[in-house]
Amino acid sequence: MTAYQFARNLLDQGHDIYRVFFYGDGVFTLNALAVSPQDEINLPQAWHQLIESHEIESIACVSSAISRGIINPREAERHEKDSVSLFESSDIAGLGQLVDAALQSDRLINFG
Amino acid sequence: MSKKAFTFISRTAPYGSNRPKMSLDAALATAVFEQEVNYLFMDDGVYQLLANQNGEPIQAKTLGNALETLDLYGIDEVCVDYESLQKRNLEAGDLTIPVTLLDATQMRALINQSDFVINL
Amino acid sequence: MSSLHTISRSSQHELLQACLKIINPGDEILFIEDGVYYCCDKKSLSLISRDNYVYGLREDLVARGLRDKQDALVEVVGYHKFVELTVQHSKTVSWF
Repeated sequence: MTAYQFARNLLDQGHDIYRVFFYGDGVFTLNALAVSPQDEINLPQAWHQLIESHEIESIACVSSAISRGIINPREAERHEKDSVSLFESSDIAGLGQLVDAALQSDRLINFG
Repeated sequence: MSKKAFTFISRTAPYGSNRPKMSLDAALATAVFEQEVNYLFMDDGVYQLLANQNGEPIQAKTLGNALETLDLYGIDEVCVDYESLQKRNLEAGDLTIPVTLLDATQMRALINQSDFVINL
Repeated sequence: MSSLHTISRSSQHELLQACLKIINPGDEILFIEDGVYYCCDKKSLSLISRDNYVYGLREDLVARGLRDKQDALVEVVGYHKFVELTVQHSKTVSWF
């Protein structure tokens, strides 16, 4: 939730996000199958909308994602699974994308 | 692109969580980009370095073995907070790989000169 | 090359102690999430040098019933300032 609020605020202040990288349990934030109680925010849905509306590049770490069942069509085919759980606004890739983002950006901000 | 200095701090014991593995994987991925990579073990993180680990009885990969490959992958400096070792009645001889022991002043300098500090 | 340190868990995780071991003069600390419990903990706050300024995130203080209970050393800030702090410092070190 903190990362989401931080992202919204920095965009409001005119900064850009080069990439959001989800690692470890963070990949659950991209689970399109998650349902929240009606009176609570659906954080995955909120992130999905933010990512889509600002055309932010969003990546789930491949080893974190597939071991937690966060799967897109490509990984579903590769691992012979019959369902997909990753929001289509995000992609799955390796840790190199985190390092690349650190090198390409002015700042790297981590949230645990 | 100029080389940047990354310092990874690992503060959790092996096997109890996947944080040590996440930190190691991220450091190795950074080394692939030919950046300066430092690895600092603090607090319970020093337990990752104990010699004679064997994850087999708990169906886990032996983390100590993975750490032995750190220098092969181009991790520049493997450092340990000396005070964390002392608190746990350990010494450098108990560890599976040679490390650089740092005091607080040296750790501050390491953090200060790093472009990125990543706590996982 | 100053750093912003964010601390997001309560004192039982001893993140402040770890942070203070490596903090440099001019670095600043921002307590967020469960880290804001430190904002009312005089004893822990007394370990922080006067060379390191201390902030607490308003939203997390309010949520936990701690608004107006924070120590006088702590400046309460919102997300706007959180973003500014990450710009002011050359790097952010997140403790969680």
